[in-house]
Parts: sequence; C-alpha cells; structure tokens
Amino acid sequence: MTAAPKKIGDVLLKVENISLSFGGVKALTNISFEIREHEILAIIGPNGAGKSSMLNCINGFYHPQEGSITFRGWKRKQMRPHEAASQGIARTFQNIALFKGMSTLDNIMTGRLLKMKCGLLSSAIYKGPAEKEQIAHRQFCERIIDFLEIEAIRKVPVGRLPYGLQKRVELGRALAAEPTLLLLDEPMAGMNLEEKQDMCRFILDVNDEFGTTICLIEHDMGVVMDISDRVVVLDYGRKIGDGVPDEVKNNQAVIDAYLGVQH
Amino acid sequence: MSETSAVADGRDPLGRDTIPKFIAYNAQHRRDRPAMREKDLGIWQSWTWGEVDSRIRQLACGLAASGFRRGDKLAIIGDNRPELYWALAAAQALGGVPVPIYQDSVAEEVQYVIDHAEARFAIAENQEQVDKLMSVKDRLPTLEAIIYSDPRGLRHYDHSCLCAMDEIVERGTAYAQSHPNFYEEELAKGRGSDIAIICYTSGTTGRPKGVMLSHDNIVRSANLAIAFDSISEKDEILAYLPLAWVGDNFISYAEGSIAGFCLNCPESADTVLQDLREIGPTYFFAPPRIFENLLTTVMIRMEDASALKRGMFHYFINVAKRAGRAILEGKPVSLKDRLLYGLGELLVYGPLKNVLGMSRLRLAYTAGEAIGPDIFDFFRALGVNLKQLYGQTECTVYLCLQTDDDVRSDTVGPPAPGIELKIDPQSGEVLYRSPGVFVGYYKNEEATAETKTPDGWVHTGDAGVFTDDGHLRIIDRAKDVGRLNNGALFAPKYVENKLKFFPFIKEAVVFGHERDYVTAFINIDLGAVGSWAERNGIAYTSYTDLAGRAEVYKQIKGCIEQVNRDLASDSSMAGCQVKRFLILHKELDADDGELTRTRKVRRRIIAERYGELIEALYSDKDSIAVEAKITFEDGRTGTFKANLAIAGVETYTPMRKAG
Amino acid sequence: MAGVAFFFEVLIGGLMAGVMYSLVALGFVLIFKASGVFNFAQGAMVLFAGLFFVGFIEIGIPLWASLLLTIAVMVLLAGVIERLVLRHLVNQEGIILFMATIGVSFFLDGFGQMIWGSNVRQLDIGIPTDPILLFDGAILVQSFDLYAAVVAGALLVILVFFQRTRIGRALRAVADDHQAAQSVGIPLNVIWVIVWTIAGLVALVAGVMWGSKLGVQPAIVGLALKALPVLILGGFTSVPGAIIGGLIIGAGEKLAEIYIGDFFGGGIENWFAYVLALGFLLIRPQGLFGEKIIERV
Repeated sequence: MTAAPKKIGDVLLKVENISLSFGGVKALTNISFEIREHEILAIIGPNGAGKSSMLNCINGFYHPQEGSITFRGWKRKQMRPHEAASQGIARTFQNIALFKGMSTLDNIMTGRLLKMKCGLLSSAIYKGPAEKEQIAHRQFCERIIDFLEIEAIRKVPVGRLPYGLQKRVELGRALAAEPTLLLLDEPMAGMNLEEKQDMCRFILDVNDEFGTTICLIEHDMGVVMDISDRVVVLDYGRKIGDGVPDEVKNNQAVIDAYLGVQH
Repeated sequence: MSETSAVADGRDPLGRDTIPKFIAYNAQHRRDRPAMREKDLGIWQSWTWGEVDSRIRQLACGLAASGFRRGDKLAIIGDNRPELYWALAAAQALGGVPVPIYQDSVAEEVQYVIDHAEARFAIAENQEQVDKLMSVKDRLPTLEAIIYSDPRGLRHYDHSCLCAMDEIVERGTAYAQSHPNFYEEELAKGRGSDIAIICYTSGTTGRPKGVMLSHDNIVRSANLAIAFDSISEKDEILAYLPLAWVGDNFISYAEGSIAGFCLNCPESADTVLQDLREIGPTYFFAPPRIFENLLTTVMIRMEDASALKRGMFHYFINVAKRAGRAILEGKPVSLKDRLLYGLGELLVYGPLKNVLGMSRLRLAYTAGEAIGPDIFDFFRALGVNLKQLYGQTECTVYLCLQTDDDVRSDTVGPPAPGIELKIDPQSGEVLYRSPGVFVGYYKNEEATAETKTPDGWVHTGDAGVFTDDGHLRIIDRAKDVGRLNNGALFAPKYVENKLKFFPFIKEAVVFGHERDYVTAFINIDLGAVGSWAERNGIAYTSYTDLAGRAEVYKQIKGCIEQVNRDLASDSSMAGCQVKRFLILHKELDADDGELTRTRKVRRRIIAERYGELIEALYSDKDSIAVEAKITFEDGRTGTFKANLAIAGVETYTPMRKAG
Repeated sequence: MAGVAFFFEVLIGGLMAGVMYSLVALGFVLIFKASGVFNFAQGAMVLFAGLFFVGFIEIGIPLWASLLLTIAVMVLLAGVIERLVLRHLVNQEGIILFMATIGVSFFLDGFGQMIWGSNVRQLDIGIPTDPILLFDGAILVQSFDLYAAVVAGALLVILVFFQRTRIGRALRAVADDHQAAQSVGIPLNVIWVIVWTIAGLVALVAGVMWGSKLGVQPAIVGLALKALPVLILGGFTSVPGAIIGGLIIGAGEKLAEIYIGDFFGGGIENWFAYVLALGFLLIRPQGLFGEKIIERV
C-alpha cells in the first residue's frame, strides 16, 4: 500500500492577518496561513479556539474586521456565502445543515443548483435540453451516491437518517458542487469508530480521486494526524502552530495548549 | 437408482456436463434473453446471455493469457457482482476451480482458505477485499496475482502483483484473436467429473473444510430440482446471499445457467429490500431470519398505521390465516372465505406482497434453521408459496424438498427425487445417497472417510425422525443430542428453536446433557423487547440494562412456560423442559466467536466462556455477578461488570395420550 | 327535485366563494413554504394591490398600463420589505418574523389608504357578471364566479410548474435551512425578493377579483383572514391544499348557513369556517395536504 507521493500545488487560498470580533469579544486575532492545492489541511485547537469562526470567514458567513482572504489569486474583503459557493468553495457544518424534508437524492441535487444552466421558462416546460440537463445532473449525483455508499437511503428523507449518515449526505451535497476547496467542520464529530473510518476513507478518496483541496476542523487527533498533510493550530483565536503533523505534534506551544497550561 | 430415464437421474439429455457448456448453449439458444442484471448508479443494467457469454470468454482468455491453467484454483471474494460470477464461470470453463470466500471474512480466514486451497489467482471485488489480501499476501506463497474489479482507491497501490480486471479482459481479447479456437477447445475438454467448485464450510468447530463438488454433482442435482419445481428461463432471482455459500452458487448461478433464467444482483447489501421490490423475483431463497425480519417490519409498520388500516389488516390477515393456506394448496374452502380472501388480496395481501417484492413470487424456499410456524404460516397464508428444504453443502444443497401441496412447518418434507435417505437406528443420525454426494474434502482424506461410508452413504451429522407419512423431521445435530441424568432424551436445538420462535427471544442456548434438569441462556431481541418496553413506559439505557429488567424476565418466563407446556405434550421430549434460566448481559456475537458467521450457536465455546454462569444455573443462587470481556468493533477488548438474575420456571407433567 | 337543485346552487355558490378564499390563502402558503414565515400582511397586500390598481385606473391610466404599474409596485414592495425588514432578521425565530409581518400589515393598510383614501371604490375590468343558467335553469351560477375559478386554476397551474424549476428548488431549499441553502450557493436575498414578489402578484390577482366583486375597500383585509381556516384545513405548506381548503370552507359555510343556520338564529356564515378549522385541528393538525412532521424516533 505504498502511496505515490502526492502532488501539492500552488497556494489556493491565502489568509492574511485576519481579525474578527463580535461586539468587542475577539474571536480571531491576526491569523495568517495558506491552503495549497490538493492538500488536506486540518485546523485544530481546543474548544473555543476560533476554528469554526475561521471557516465561517473563509466561506463568507462572517466578515472579518481586518485582514484579507485571497482565493485563487482574487483578493476580497467581504464576500457573501453564495458568492463563495459560486467560486468553488463548498462546506459542511458542525451541526449538520441539511434540507431535512428532502430526500438524500434531492439534497445532493441542490448541491448542483449552481451547475444548472437552463432558464426558468425551459425548465418549467421540462423538455428537451432541460430534461437532458436534469439527467446529466442526476447521473452526477448518482456517482456521488455510489462513491459514498448511500444507495440504500437514496429516497429517504434525511430527517429520518441517523447522525452518521446525515454527515455523509452533507458531504455528498458539498461534493455535488464539484468544489475546488472543500471545508469540513468536524466531519467526524459524534461518530462511532467504524463511521469515522468510513469518513476518513471518503475524505482521502475525495482528495485523491477528484484532487479536491480540503480544509477540515477535527477534534480527534488520531484522525487529524493520519489524514492531514498540514496542520494549523489555533488557541484563543491566535495561531500557535503551523506545519506537517509531526512538527505540530512536537511543538511545545501546541502541547501546552492541549494540556491546558496557563499563559 | 433404478429409473432408466436420462432425466430421472439428473443427467442432461443433450450431454452438457459442465456449467460453462450450459452458458455457451444459452448464448446460442437464448442469445437475447436477459441473463444478468445489476443496479448501478441507480439504474438496472442488464446483460443478455450472448453478452454474458462473451464476457466470460474474454475473462477466461485473459486468465489463460495470465498463466491460469487447468486445475488451478481461483479465489473469489466480494459481494454478488456480475463480474464475479463471470470470473467463476471463466475459471470453470478453463477447467479451473473457483474457490469463493465469504466477503465478510477477516484477513486470517481469507489467508487460511487461500493457503489451504493453494490458489494461484485471486479476484477481489474492491479496495476493502484487496486490502485484506494484501495484508496476508506475504504469508501466501502460492498466490501470484490479485485481480480487482472496482479500481476505486487502488490507483496508488503497488501493482507488481495487482491487476485490474479490465486489463485481464484486454489481454483476453488479444489472446482470443491470436488463439481463435482456444475457448471452444478448453470448454470441450471439460468433464462432468471435474471439480466445479470448492466451498469452504465454516462449521461449528475446527478449521473450515473445503467441500469439493463436481460438475456432475451440480448439474444432476440442479436438473432434478428444476424438474421438481418446474423452473424455467422465465424465472427471475435476486442473488443476494453470499457468493461463497453453496446455496447461492447452486440456486442463482448453476440453476440460472442450466434453466436459463435471469440472475439479478442488488445494488448493495443495504438495498436488498428495495431491489427485491423493484425486481419482483419469481424464485426466492432466504434463511428463516430474513422472513422473520420481513414479518417484524410489516408488524411494526402496522403499529404505526391509522386505525382503519390496522383494523383492515388484522381482519384480512385472520381471513388469510383461516383460508389462505387451503386456497394455496388447492383444498376446499367455503365460498364466503374464498370471496373474502379475494377481497383481501385486493385490499391487503396484494399491496403487502408488492411492498415486500413478492408480487410475482411463485417459489420461495427457506432452510438452514428451523422456521417459526407463525412466520411460515403468515407467508403461506398471504399466498406466497414458501417451502422448506433440507440439505447441506456436502450433498449439493438439498436432500428434502417440500412439495407444493404438502407443506408443514415442523418437517422438512419427503426425500427429494433421486435421493435415498435412512436413519441410523443407534444414533438417530440421517444418512443419504444421492447424485449430489460430494467428491471429498479437499486435502482432508481423513474427514472424507469419516463422513462417507464405503458403501456410499454419507453422514449428515443431523439427528432426525421420519413421520408416519414419510416426512423427515430434524431434531438436532446428532452429536448434540444427549441424555439427562435420568436417561431422558435431550435435544438442545429442538428446544432452542422453540424458544427462538418467540419474537422477544433472539438467541437461546440450553444445557442439560448429563445434568439433572434443563437450563437456558437467553438473548433478548433488542428491537422487539425494546419497542415493547417503550410502549409500556419502561426506560432503559442499553441492552444490558434492558436484559436485566424484572419486567423483561417476567415476559421471557412466560415464553419459556409456554414452551414447557408444548414439550410436555410430547412424551419423548417432556424431559427437555427448562427449569431455570438467565438472560445474558450481552448479545452472542460472531465477532466474539460465540456464533458462526451464519449465526449458529457455538455450544462449546459458550460453555467454556460462561462456565460459571452454567454452574450458577445448577445451584440455588438467584443471581450471579459477571465480569465480561467484550471485543469492540475495532478489535480492542474491555471488561464490564453486571449482576445477572436467575429465574425459575414452571414445568409440567407429561400428558398421557388418552387411550 | 327543486330541493336538490337548490342544494347544488348553494354548493356551487359556496365553492365559487371558496375560490376567492383560496386566492388569498395561496399567498400565505407561498411565503410560508419558502421562508417559514407566516405572513400576516397577506391580507393587507391584497388591499394594497387593489388600491393601487383601482387608483391608477381612476386617474385615467389605461387598464393594461395600470396592471403593469401595479405589478411594478408589488415588485418594488417585495424589494423594500426584503431590504428594510427581512435582511435584518435572517436566522431569527419565526415568531419575530411573524411580528414583523404584523408591522408590515399595519403599514400597508395605512400607507395605501393614505395615498388613495379609504372610500369604497368600484372596480370594473369588464368581467361579465350576468348569471348563467344550468340544467334548464334549475341551477343559477354567477358568470363572474366562473371567471374567478378559471383565474385561480390558471394561477395554480403556473405555481405548480414554477415549483419544478430551478428557482422552485432553491425556494424549497431556503425554506428548509437558510445556512445550508447559502452554502450551496443560493443567494438568500434574491430568493426573498422573488418569494415576496410572487406573493405580491398573487395578492394582486386576489385584489382584482375581490375588488371587482365587492369593490376595493378596507374590509377586504378582514375578509382575507378567512384564509386562516383555509390554511388550517389545507395545510400551511401545500398549494393544492390552499385550493381544496378554500373550496371546502366556501361550500361548507354557505351550506351551513342555509341548512343549519336557523338553529342558531342565522349569521353563522361568519364564524362557521373557524369552528370547522378548529375541529379539523384536533383530528389532523398538519392539514389535509400538509407535510407530516418527520422526526427521527
């Protein structure tokens, strides 16, 4: 099982001196790091370290007061989430944000909304090119369903699914957008070991098969060290470490943060 | 056998003596009929016999080009996929021997089988299976090449001994061009006496044994079964039971190839019920467990249905119970019941069968374990022709088949055509002679000699009795039948099965051999007891918690008392009444070695592991503390403590038959 | 025979009145489905649209131009509501949004009357009102009611088709989960504007129909509240439910008035619908066509 060395490309997303506060409470202070093409980058840190805030800045849910984010060479200060999506940033949420009343397939199909071209009128009539387009999208979604091994729940409303499967469907919906950058907020939270292993396999496969760049937040250190190419460590809204897993593991500041040493 | 007709002994009138020859015949005579289907990316893909035949040719040529020779073994591991069936046929066409391996086997089990079978080639379905093979590859000197069918995730693997099935097919296409008559010649070299397959049986003890079945065994047995149930090319089957199990190989692949019907592969193991509904097979095999699950699902759904629906359901199910079986078996029924049944078919049975994927079902078999009479009657009452068969790997699947018009839940039917049965008067063991009698255990002369007597009779290892009208009733494994200290017959499985027919009881293990009385371990069914507990406002946190509840003990006690009453009515079994029992704190698990992969109880291991508990059952204690070791899903082990209650049960004096 | 004919006449009259309720209820359903907001202002929007339409006509603008102008007003209104109210309330509780729509309701009510006055205005856009006799004159039907039914039917067809479009899918996604919808690239603000525009246009249709029948007057706001029992009956999330619910309420209250009204001394038409809805709530809280609340147990 000797994996060929992975090709990590240029900088895809550059975070520069980001600071974010909510009514005087600093969530992030002067954070800078880079995400490179085709890599798996993990953001770790104790609870309340600002990891989710960081992801929310990247995909436009939050607008940092200071600093800038450059994605594919395009620098922006404020961007709305749907704009981030149309530029190729897809994400999943810590608390699962799925369309609960829709089936697994419909959820994944919504992930393709941005890819749908046919206009309002033609799709209303639902014939010809629009139908062909629908079929092509459906086929794409079926490939994702096959990939994530969720055939059995294709038609099940996601509200009825157990947690682990909902997480998988959410990943499927993010993948449907064929993202350049995939943000995963605690993809393995609340899963049992087998589900975690499955999820790890999917993340690695996504990265490998589609070349998708992945930025993930995760608590399970074992998982992080196993699958990430690089790790960024946050603590109290500041960056305290950045490097390959082995470096980070031996970084004194990181060890202190995790052992709860007072500053 | 004394019959002179060619068909009566199962030989093919056209002289086709190997399964690939039947496939080649189908490619000629049923060229455009569907042979296989598989649901892929949400759509049913199908292959005609012509297409299937050419895939098998390509694969066979590719294997030959890669060095596969007559007599070589081909290990096959994976789910039911058309490619794997093609590989199986390709190996057979080359005079090789497929050795299918259970897809959920752990690496060590896979290693044992491949090593024992000396397989040079292995076909793996996907990354999961390739990983297993690669992890033990170093310990398998004979294994030269691993061929995979699904390339996902394997791109970066070391390909020095790994090869995609597509590449084999390419090689095969090239090879067939340079050797145009190769496949036909190889096919013609096949003989009925060639080994068609080696099936490794898990067995309750010891290492698995490789049962060698010849093409003759399979072809003759299949021909007899096809004639017995009028199976034709118009049938459809869903191949969802493990490929490595002889039953799937025989029913789906061999009977399918010989009768020419279509084999459908489910999309994945999880989608079987949906696929069943979409395909609507006409021929279906399932172990009792599956019928039981189907019935439970139906019942749970009816609990949630509106009062009107529920009332209608129960009313018509009662009509069906009264009249359904008689109508199915062509016996006289009153006009009123006939009309009501017709109405019920329209309103309840039809829609229900449709949901269960049984609308077109004309022939369903169950075997492996005894089936609960309630479950059995339920499906027959609905008009599903559910029958039992009895057999084992060594006899090529079946010995007894129930006839359409004489089906009972407590016997397995009369001996099937072409099969001779007798019961050893001393041990009560069932012995047989038939065209399906296996060639031998691979590389195990000793075991072969133990099983096959010189005059051709084979030991089944099962104890049974014939009823007055010639039906066989299996009571237990011959070696498990014992005696109580007072000399009474003790048939543990017979009792366990009666216990397991209660929905609350998932597993039962009874003890009594060389003891004063009979006792039992019970595993409750978490689904059934859990939902009962919910309905009755009993809160519980886990299996262990629920199992220890006094209310649950009371329910189980009621079940056991009913079994005791039942046993008391049969004088030969009256001694088997259960006197004391306990509910185990954990579910018996195949991962812990307590059950076989086919969920049969491993009596000896349980007796060893829970010796203390058994002794407590034969003491006067009313509870016992346990500290149990459990294996988690990831292989780690841990311990936990619990206090198990032991409860006594009423026993009844045997009833004397009047007169 | 006469009794039967009379029954049918009452029934048909009731069904036609029900169509008018359905028109209002549709507006509620659309917004509720797409945003989970119970838009209390729907009735006010009906009046608002009606006032502008009749106002434009009265100042001498041709019919078609008045219609276009009113459409423009409703689109503008949707944009303003989004910009000034909804945008600031993203991810807030439903009850807060509901309160906001009450505010919007009073504003529209007042603003419309401030511009156009509060007199009852006749609106005549040329819909014939002569009665039609069916079955040799046994049953009498207002031709206006038939036109109303045709309009409602056409609206329904358009809306059903609309739900199958890309935007329809996006609307459903937004209704289900704001955050998730944004993350798949659905611009929330645009969707809000679209939903409120559609609701505004449905209100316009309702306003025109009601206005033609009763004259454009503030009482329309109150009448629009008849949509509530319709929604309870049909389900808050179902477009067909709004139609069927309207028909049942319309027919039910007319029949009740005629056949059992005397026991109560008459006048039960005004409250019968609510009693019917209340009874229905007890049996089937999600309505006839509403989505059964799916919860994992």
